[in-house]
Amino acid sequence: MGEALDALFAARGAKASQVPIILPAEPYLDTAGEALRRRIFLTRGEGGQNLCLRPDFTVPVCMRHIAEGADLPRRYSYRGLVFRQRAGGPAEFFQAGIEDLGEENRATSDARSLADALASLAACGVDPAGLDVILGDQGLFEAVLRALGLPEGWQRRLIRTFGHDGQLRAALARLAEGPEDALSGIEPQLVDLARDREEGALTRLVRDLMEEAGLPPHSGRSPGEIANRLIEKVQVAEARLGEGALELLQNFLALECPLDEAGDRLAAVTGTAGLDLGRAMTAFMTRNLALEAANVDLAGITYRAAFGRPIDYYTGLVFEVRETGAEEPLAGGGRYDRLMTILGAPAPIPAVGFSLWLDRIEAMARSTGKPA
Amino acid sequence: MTITLAIPSKGRLMEKSLAVLKEAGIAVSAGATRSYRTKVEGFDGLEVLLLSASEIARELRDGAIDFGITGEDLIRETIPDADVAAGIVARLGFGHADVVVAVPKAWVDVASMDDLGDVAGSFRARHGRRLRIATKYWRLTQGFFSRTHGIQSYRIVESLGATEGAPAAGSADIIVDITSTGSTLTANRLKVLSDGVILKSEACLAVSEARQREADDARLAAALSARFGA
Repeated sequence: MGEALDALFAARGAKASQVPIILPAEPYLDTAGEALRRRIFLTRGEGGQNLCLRPDFTVPVCMRHIAEGADLPRRYSYRGLVFRQRAGGPAEFFQAGIEDLGEENRATSDARSLADALASLAACGVDPAGLDVILGDQGLFEAVLRALGLPEGWQRRLIRTFGHDGQLRAALARLAEGPEDALSGIEPQLVDLARDREEGALTRLVRDLMEEAGLPPHSGRSPGEIANRLIEKVQVAEARLGEGALELLQNFLALECPLDEAGDRLAAVTGTAGLDLGRAMTAFMTRNLALEAANVDLAGITYRAAFGRPIDYYTGLVFEVRETGAEEPLAGGGRYDRLMTILGAPAPIPAVGFSLWLDRIEAMARSTGKPA
Repeated sequence: MTITLAIPSKGRLMEKSLAVLKEAGIAVSAGATRSYRTKVEGFDGLEVLLLSASEIARELRDGAIDFGITGEDLIRETIPDADVAAGIVARLGFGHADVVVAVPKAWVDVASMDDLGDVAGSFRARHGRRLRIATKYWRLTQGFFSRTHGIQSYRIVESLGATEGAPAAGSADIIVDITSTGSTLTANRLKVLSDGVILKSEACLAVSEARQREADDARLAAALSARFGA
């Protein structure tokens, strides 16, 4: 199975990258957040630095690319053990995948990533008839929020929860509350100043509070930043979300259909309200064309509008492939255009990739298909 | 044929623990000297040890003792899946304290966890680093921020003492700490968020589920639990 994948990756123009097993932990904690800490194997080097057993390949592959400053676009492949603490199942397992860096034509590279993931499963002997493929697009969600004219503070708050159904529902419910709830706990005098956009007065007031507390003036949030956010918050709290807007947003989030019908269904939900999703819609449709050009059957893919990942460096396409009815994915991928700058790239680099859970794939191929 | 119970080795927690044991008919005389052994009357087969409160939580987790009296905050912080690995036999009505999320009072725009989520979400873009939280409660903080409130973008800065001073010292932006009266927070110009109470803690009698017990000891353990109404 490994050799079949290596051959496929090479044929698809991806260069195999070698990554050490023991890696600095900081980049992981910094990108994926503290929730990862419980799930990785951490240790401390003699000099006190945090080290971990490789929990995934994406971060080190991207970091090495940045360090070497290689030309773009470029595709990297990997295959090897990763280590994560899990309640059930073994703590070490094999993953393989491709990271596609620097391709400015996002429709093409998105389509290539999903097509390569499906081709990889086929190369491993998995019967495509037994698979569920699900696809989401954060770009469309963001476009709907923009087109509805939601205040930016609300947009950011909703985008943060995108991909986590329960939290998104809770955030929507809170946004429908009255301003009294949203502004409780803030001194009325400050609310008045914010309502009048008295930025200077608020800034001075906050600066005094910071000095009184002995907070360092040049680290962390500044008085101006705090004053501005209070002004924005009062504005946001007092601009109510109309009934129609909330309903439309909920209708959009409830969309789930075969990908080849998604264009029409999206148009039906947003078009009646006269919303124009602009470039996000064009990008979505262009990607579908690119998928068809890559011989991917759109009817076999489910588009779910609410499907995403609540991690801040994911920006657009996300997809997962499962054995029909199974809980755990066999493959997962997506676009992470914000990761490269977080990891230290001097300028943004478009990036999309996927990874395969080889142990699960092998188990499925053995039980249903013919292992390659 | 003995079971072990560990109680805090000093201060008010020790005195109150001795008092609740006495109410349950168990007289424990701790040596006035620095001995960690005790004499127990009123419950045959019970050995009472004096340990530090945090050590008691660890020993419960590891199954090194049968019972322990310590703070619920320490039990939940120390023991993964505390509801399964350690049963709380009784809440003892002393040692009340809350584990809370507190931010500088100067953050006049931040009153709730939602506000904090907004601030954390845009922190890197503004400051080139994640929002930093000083705490000794890693597990409780992660559970509350990541699972309860869906806030992923923050970093925990380990704090082993005087956590409330971290924002002024510039080592963290906000804190998660334990507070009973709130006076330390107020003195440090910090405020608790409206929905920022992670845990309302008090001293608890807990039983270690990780401990292997022979039939006789299991009977003793049940008898001790029964003395506390469980």
